[in-house]
Amino acid sequence: MPKVLRSTAMRLALVFAGLFMIATLLLGGLLWWNTAGYLDRETDAVIAADTRAIGDRLRDFGLAGAVQTMSERIAADSDGRAIYLLTDPRLRPLGGNVDAWPLKVGAGAGWYEIELVHRDRLHVSRLLHVVLPGNFQLLVGRDVQDRVEIRNLFLRGLAWAGAAALAFAFFGAWLIRRAVEHRIEGINRTATAIVQGDLARRVPLRDADDEFDQLVATINRMLDQMQHLIEGVRNVSNAIAHDLRTPLAETRARLETLLRQPTGTEASLDGIAAAIADIDRLIGVFNALLRLAELDSGLRRAGFARVDLSALVEDAAELYAPAAEAKGITLTCETEAGLGVDGDRYLLAQAVGNLLDNAVKYTPAGGSIRLSADRQSDGHLTLAVADSGPGIPDAERGRVTERFYRGDTSRHAEGVGLGLSLVEAVARLHGGSLRLDGNNPGLKAVLALPGPA
Amino acid sequence: MKILLVEDNPQVSQFVRKGLAESGHAVDHADNGRDGLFLATTESYDAIILDRMLPGGVDGLGIIEALRRTGNTTPILILSALADVDERIRGLKAGGDDYLTKPFAFGELEARLMALFRRGQTTGGETMLKVGDLSLDILSRKATRAGKPIVLKPREYKLLEYLMRHAGQVVTRTMLLENVWDYHFDPQTNVIDVHISNLRQKIDADFERPLLHTVRGAGYRLSENA
Repeated sequence: MPKVLRSTAMRLALVFAGLFMIATLLLGGLLWWNTAGYLDRETDAVIAADTRAIGDRLRDFGLAGAVQTMSERIAADSDGRAIYLLTDPRLRPLGGNVDAWPLKVGAGAGWYEIELVHRDRLHVSRLLHVVLPGNFQLLVGRDVQDRVEIRNLFLRGLAWAGAAALAFAFFGAWLIRRAVEHRIEGINRTATAIVQGDLARRVPLRDADDEFDQLVATINRMLDQMQHLIEGVRNVSNAIAHDLRTPLAETRARLETLLRQPTGTEASLDGIAAAIADIDRLIGVFNALLRLAELDSGLRRAGFARVDLSALVEDAAELYAPAAEAKGITLTCETEAGLGVDGDRYLLAQAVGNLLDNAVKYTPAGGSIRLSADRQSDGHLTLAVADSGPGIPDAERGRVTERFYRGDTSRHAEGVGLGLSLVEAVARLHGGSLRLDGNNPGLKAVLALPGPA
Repeated sequence: MKILLVEDNPQVSQFVRKGLAESGHAVDHADNGRDGLFLATTESYDAIILDRMLPGGVDGLGIIEALRRTGNTTPILILSALADVDERIRGLKAGGDDYLTKPFAFGELEARLMALFRRGQTTGGETMLKVGDLSLDILSRKATRAGKPIVLKPREYKLLEYLMRHAGQVVTRTMLLENVWDYHFDPQTNVIDVHISNLRQKIDADFERPLLHTVRGAGYRLSENA
């Protein structure tokens, strides 16, 4: 199917145009049948009756009777439209009001509509040619010049009407297409915004209370329900995170008190310190969850300012380089100078930090991590962390940004699977995106950010 | 130290009072903003711990602004459930000296309090910091231990300066991240530990007596005494 016909709106519009044209043609045909067609049928009926009457006369009263009937009828025809001609088998006139057999009427019997000189006027005439017993040739007709003119007028009118109908049909089709596309566009835009994380978006209603509004209302109800469910889940996790932080902090305080008591053995003190570290990790998870909730709400956008991305990336490299080095990993940083971005410095730093955390965690000794930031030709900024670790299998790449998702390769490593979710949420907050590519071997995480406004 | 705690949450205030009392500090407590402001203006404290959101018509920021307007320079540590960086900046702009997000570890609170108190004591004008035989010249940015020069990278210098300015106190990893790197999140990797161990390599490795100590479950301390 051609591309233009793949549009439902276009197909609807074409069907509309087609039906409109068919309706117009039917109406025209009906009008024709009832007016001009009616007159033609009347004329034909009169001519046929005349022909029959003269034929009967010829049979009953002979040639003289037939000629007399014709003369009577010619005399009675006040507006001079009647045409009669009776000839012998060799077409020599025997009676009637036409001087000679018209050349355009052939030997065969039947209906003709020809231009005929009659009473010194060249007029269109409707003629019926019959062959009577004895091979007499009878021509009966009517001058239909007026009717032809009316008919032409009618046809011209019909043609104009048809052209206008065609124009209206296409205009209507265009209107339909535009209306349908306009309404669908609203739904489309909303769905796109929701996919990008703006759960509060709704399809605008038009207050027309038509099928589209009913559909839109249903979609919006569905979105309400969806948002309600998603927020319910989030609220539960936020409430858990929030409510558990306090008892955790208290537990931590108790352990800290124990740690400061001089009575403990070295082993028990180590155990207490390890327990405190575990609690710190838990608090970290809850803080990450709450941070994600904050990012999802989009409220942080209010604090955006111009951030020197180059400096931020170099600082991050400087912070992580010793940790990488201690693990036998080379960390290199290549940044284009003077890259600016409108955003939240602390969140961007955290995003880079999370990516570097992962890279350091998964890259084996002897491997390398390459951190870079560049301006793309289309004005976008990209910040990439490429490592030589095990990478992420293609099948898992779409899922690793899901909260608490842990791939097979990371199942045994420390962490809970919120790092990439956070990076992605930070990217989204900044109107950018997080892309995970293969690095042959390893993983290349690319944070794309819009250039400064 | 004499400390004023202005906090309306009974659990938090009990936990803080108990911890501070155990560490040998005297604590006054107000559970609303009005009483807190009254105590802060009528009594003299070494430090004030102030909740950001308070009942009683005067909130944390209001108290800070009122105190600073009257020329009161007591160090103030703000406590808040709001982890927002904007909130933090607002609190510090109003005249707060440090900002701690709930829930916090008591060790973190104590370390920060001590740091604030210490900052209140020093004039900030000294050009030479000394811990034992380790010294740091602020003007020439040169470190020496027992007369031997120590070559530091810029960030190592900043780290050492912070540790030396808080000599004898526990500094947490979070404090180091915030003050030396201006980072406000906790990395998963032990990045700070590696920086510390690199620094330790430079200042302690060649000497019999270590100065940079790890404080179990809390952080680090730079001090002559173990």
